[in-house]
Amino acid sequence: MIDETAVKYVAAVYGVTWVVAIAYIGILHTKFGRLERQIDEIVKLMEARSDG
Amino acid sequence: MAVVLAATLMPLAVAMIFFYVPTDVDQGYSQRIFYFHVPIALTTYTLFAWGALNAARFLWTRDMRLDLKSYVPMHLGVMFGCLTLVTGSLWAHISWGVWWYWGSTELTTFLIIFLFYCAYFMLRFSVEPGEKRATFSAVYALLGVGLIPISVIAVHTAQDIIHPITFSRNGANMDGSMFATFLVSLAALLSLAVAMYCIEMRGKRIDDRLKQLRRLAEASS
Repeated sequence: MIDETAVKYVAAVYGVTWVVAIAYIGILHTKFGRLERQIDEIVKLMEARSDG
Repeated sequence: MAVVLAATLMPLAVAMIFFYVPTDVDQGYSQRIFYFHVPIALTTYTLFAWGALNAARFLWTRDMRLDLKSYVPMHLGVMFGCLTLVTGSLWAHISWGVWWYWGSTELTTFLIIFLFYCAYFMLRFSVEPGEKRATFSAVYALLGVGLIPISVIAVHTAQDIIHPITFSRNGANMDGSMFATFLVSLAALLSLAVAMYCIEMRGKRIDDRLKQLRRLAEASS
């Protein structure tokens, strides 16, 4: 017989850990998106320069 | 490599915790928290020690790349430290009926280490980027690492029975399957930390190169 309260606490511990890991991946995803946009801006700047 | 290892070991650890390891006779089902809580705490100590080692190397060589290699483990260490406190608090509540126990030397020492490294960021971001900031951060990181052995000693010398000692001079106080699960969880959490470190370092290096590129592009246009 498994104690249901204990199951909830164990699930909370593993849930929190996974949420933090996923949030971290989300933050990195946003950061890499920002870097990608910056690369696009630089490419446009360079293209404008070569056109001019 | 670390990403693949973490992606393999994390599900393996979870599978072992829920389907392989037997339920502890004394603590019951909630003892399964141990297999994540303790490896997370050990990973926190490893990250702080790693950051401090790179801080020492920076002070020795004055290589600015080592400043970043010291900062990233500190940042991840605080994140893992936060997880240690949350998971520990949940375990304390189910086992002892309280969210926190101030009478425990090891808990209080861990909290001091955690708060000490939280303050690292306040110091770091209050100084302009450059060698001065890197030096201040490195010295602070080195001061904090001295607290880690104190915390480990506290766990082993504390006489209160509320925080059980799992590892003694006689080895691990658990059976073979429990110890194997613990080792897999520890390897999973350490590889996750290394994977996070590698990804974050790569992001920061790209960021730095982009800033250089932008400066060059703007200067030449």
